[in-house]
Amino acid sequence: MNRAEAVGLGAALVGHAVLFGLLSVGFLATPNPMELESTPLDVSLVDAVALQSAAPAAVEPPAQSRAEDSGPIEDAPPPAETVAEPTPTPPAPQPKPAPAPKPSPVSKPDERKPAETKEARRAEPRPAPAPAPTKKAEKPAAKSGSDNKAKAERPRGSHLSDDFLKGILESPSSGKSTTPRAQTVSATAIAGIGDAIRRQVQPCANRVPNPGPGANQITTKLRIRMKRDGTLAGRPEIRGQTGVSGENERYAQRVGELAAGAVIACAPYELPAELYAGGWEDIILNYKLPD
Amino acid sequence: MRDWIAHMGTARTGLRRLALALAPMLFAAAPAQAQVEVDVVGGISAPMPIAIPVMPTSAPANTAAGTTDALGRQLSEVITNDLRNSGLFRPLGPNVLRPVGYEQVTAPDFPYWTGTGAQALVQGFVRANGDGSLTVGCYLYDVFARTELTRQGFVVAPADWRRAAHKCADTVYTRLTGEGPYFDSRVIYVSETGPKNRRIKRMAVMDQDGANHRFLTNGQSIVLTPRFSPNGQSIVYMSYQNDRPSLFVYDLGSGRQRLLVPNVNLTFAPRFSPDGRWILFTMSTAGNADIYRVPAGGGAPQQLTRSPGIDTGGSYSPDGSRIVFESDRGGSQQLYVMNADGSNQQRISFGGGRYATPVWSPRGDLIAFTRIGGGAFRIGVMSPSGSGERLLTEAWGDEGPSWAPNGRVLMYFRSAQGSGRTEVWSVDLTGVNERRVPTPQDGSDPDWGPLRP
Repeated sequence: MNRAEAVGLGAALVGHAVLFGLLSVGFLATPNPMELESTPLDVSLVDAVALQSAAPAAVEPPAQSRAEDSGPIEDAPPPAETVAEPTPTPPAPQPKPAPAPKPSPVSKPDERKPAETKEARRAEPRPAPAPAPTKKAEKPAAKSGSDNKAKAERPRGSHLSDDFLKGILESPSSGKSTTPRAQTVSATAIAGIGDAIRRQVQPCANRVPNPGPGANQITTKLRIRMKRDGTLAGRPEIRGQTGVSGENERYAQRVGELAAGAVIACAPYELPAELYAGGWEDIILNYKLPD
Repeated sequence: MRDWIAHMGTARTGLRRLALALAPMLFAAAPAQAQVEVDVVGGISAPMPIAIPVMPTSAPANTAAGTTDALGRQLSEVITNDLRNSGLFRPLGPNVLRPVGYEQVTAPDFPYWTGTGAQALVQGFVRANGDGSLTVGCYLYDVFARTELTRQGFVVAPADWRRAAHKCADTVYTRLTGEGPYFDSRVIYVSETGPKNRRIKRMAVMDQDGANHRFLTNGQSIVLTPRFSPNGQSIVYMSYQNDRPSLFVYDLGSGRQRLLVPNVNLTFAPRFSPDGRWILFTMSTAGNADIYRVPAGGGAPQQLTRSPGIDTGGSYSPDGSRIVFESDRGGSQQLYVMNADGSNQQRISFGGGRYATPVWSPRGDLIAFTRIGGGAFRIGVMSPSGSGERLLTEAWGDEGPSWAPNGRVLMYFRSAQGSGRTEVWSVDLTGVNERRVPTPQDGSDPDWGPLRP
């Protein structure tokens, strides 16, 4: 081995060592891909399959719906002067003209007290003194709305928009079908509704105080009926309780009331209008305190 | 058929699969519609926020206990303290809430109360009646559901205004928790003063919250283990007569006391039966202590236990059919249960250490005791069969448990290591909300009296 070879070999060795070092440093500096933070996804597992197709079954156009699905979201609607319009057309074929004379802002507080006490009822005349759709009538409703900004449950204006009843008046429907657009709400849609309701009830359920030891063994089955606008059509009905034992019996009634209270507190619910009929118009909610 | 399928929908997954398998057959028979079913789990083990504004008065008036205006505030404060002390509520009291008008008492402004975060609302009024009595109205509302849950009216003498507040708090507590009431009750205990080796021990009675405190004995002779009768009218206790422990019955109405058993042997550890007709006690003759019972009005004692060694600390079950007591017949102090006539004696405690001062819960489902081990005294509970033992306190010297009338709270006393000073404490059955009960001096051996009528 001559001198040149030795130098070359030495240089090669040094070079490799440096290269190895550099690569090692680079390797160490590379973040571990397994440790990358992964964003959790909301996954809902659908464990039921629809018994029927979710496809529309109507062969003829369905009868026109009587109410628009949603009104303006944030503001209270303007005084419903337009509501007076229907009266000039007396033979209008609407089956239930009842809601028309009621200006929607006034009707709101009524709906919100499904079962008033005697006293509450006595006080009732105050918020709705005149059913006339004047500015006067609009005032008390607007005031009570601003009183409690803290609560998200407060109405975001009426869900009945100005063009309430519009479809009916203009052209009587040619369709006679009264079946909903889809005969059955599909399992996926049901799961979706379930998730949406759960999400919206959860904040109120989370505030339910555990009344005592063993109360968390009780599951309360509530039947909830809703109107198209997402408000409750009545007080949630207790359809039974499971997990009641001698030890927690004394808490059972209260747990049921708390469950119903949570559902009431988080109403109204925002749910897809097309899944109302056969979907969320009438649901079962099983409530339980956490273990 | 439809119901059947809906029912299947509520069942567990396994059943759902079964329903699925059967579905084609059923489908042929009837159109099926699955009902949307949601499972929601939620809740907190935290005290419930509850609003208790000042109770307004219809017409301000002077009463023997002050003006009705002032009473309205004091009533709300007592209710607030009762509910807070239970550990189950987080009250927003009269000091942080705006006053309500008299007409609002029966028609609450729910939107406002929702905004305060309260889930329940206690409103009421106070009114002076023509005959000098007070009427206190008490209304409970569910703020979430916007409904009235209950209402009560109490007519009391002005001097008893605190009882009206306790009754109102009991109404609220009972309605919202499902537990029985206990705020309108009294506690008897031993008040202690003086140096460790020369303590003066006097019997004292007070409301459950420490108010209306009163000494019943003057401290010339030491008083131990005072126990209420079931009607709360008399107290049986042990004191020394001629340097010999003897049992006395004290009448709260008249203030008179009488000797229960002729003073021939050492007698101690008395306790009334639930029907008030008998008093259990221990009599010691020549180092052998056994449990006896004697008619509450006096008479001949009947012997219930006959084992060698010390049997003491008897306490009846609420139905009066059984008795729990402590005995060292097995070598160390342990708990035993027997029938009320002394038959069928069975040991129920088997943990390490020693067990003492058993007391049967007024609900009947638990027995509270002092457990002694590892150099410490702790309060615990177990079922009457001895299962499910739990210790509720962690301090060095907790002993002598006594049940609240509803069987949900226990009162006991805590001795400080070294100084020997004692304090009265209470703890929730779940082991939380340990709280000192205020007494003017040191206090030991509390006995929680019955709910007052």
